[in-house]
Amino acid sequence: MKNNIRVERAIINITQAELAEKVGVSRQTINTIESNKYIPSTVLTLKIARVFGKPVEEIFSLEETD
Amino acid sequence: MSSIPYIWYCKLDRMAKTKYLFPYNSRFIGLALILVHIPIKLLWDAYYPGGYDHNNPTSPGSETPLFSPPHLFFIGTTLMVLVGLFLIAFSKEKIEDEQIVQLRLDSLRWAIYLNYAILLFTLVFTHGSDSKHILMLNIWLPLLFFIFRFQWVLYRLNRSAKSDETKL
Repeated sequence: MKNNIRVERAIINITQAELAEKVGVSRQTINTIESNKYIPSTVLTLKIARVFGKPVEEIFSLEETD
Repeated sequence: MSSIPYIWYCKLDRMAKTKYLFPYNSRFIGLALILVHIPIKLLWDAYYPGGYDHNNPTSPGSETPLFSPPHLFFIGTTLMVLVGLFLIAFSKEKIEDEQIVQLRLDSLRWAIYLNYAILLFTLVFTHGSDSKHILMLNIWLPLLFFIFRFQWVLYRLNRSAKSDETKL
């Protein structure tokens, strides 16, 4: 699964730490999600999408290998 | 939710959230217990040369009665180390999020793998009084390995997050 959290963060101009605080996880978790090392749970993807005010599919998408 | 009483639902929800872990600060109590046990053990050994095995009633050939001072000392120190290890291993992280939960379970799985590998190996290749040492090893090895593995993974996670931060 890939995502464009980094781009979305830049649009609303918040840091990894600020996003982490908004969705209630550690900054490291946001970091590993952005670098595609950790696949977040459904609850967390929905929370992240809510912060950006967009549907989940616009931020997260499946890859060929998924 | 309608099928079970609301109060049960609340209880289940709370249990799922707490995840049966000790508070963050209990790791320091655990560390203190283990550190305190070292001088106590050294003092005891200085007063009673010969070590546990001669004094402990569960050793073969020992004539020490159950719950005599050496036995109570053995129970006490073992409990101190075990409780200490448990508190260190299963205290919450500062932010206990879903990735931490995954890393915790991953480390626990590796600890079980290693423990059973050593257990099987020693069961096949040792006999007699050595088997008692296997039991002693099994008491603390899985917890200790879990603690080291988990802390190492957390350290790596923090390091990669930090190096990423400097890149941005």
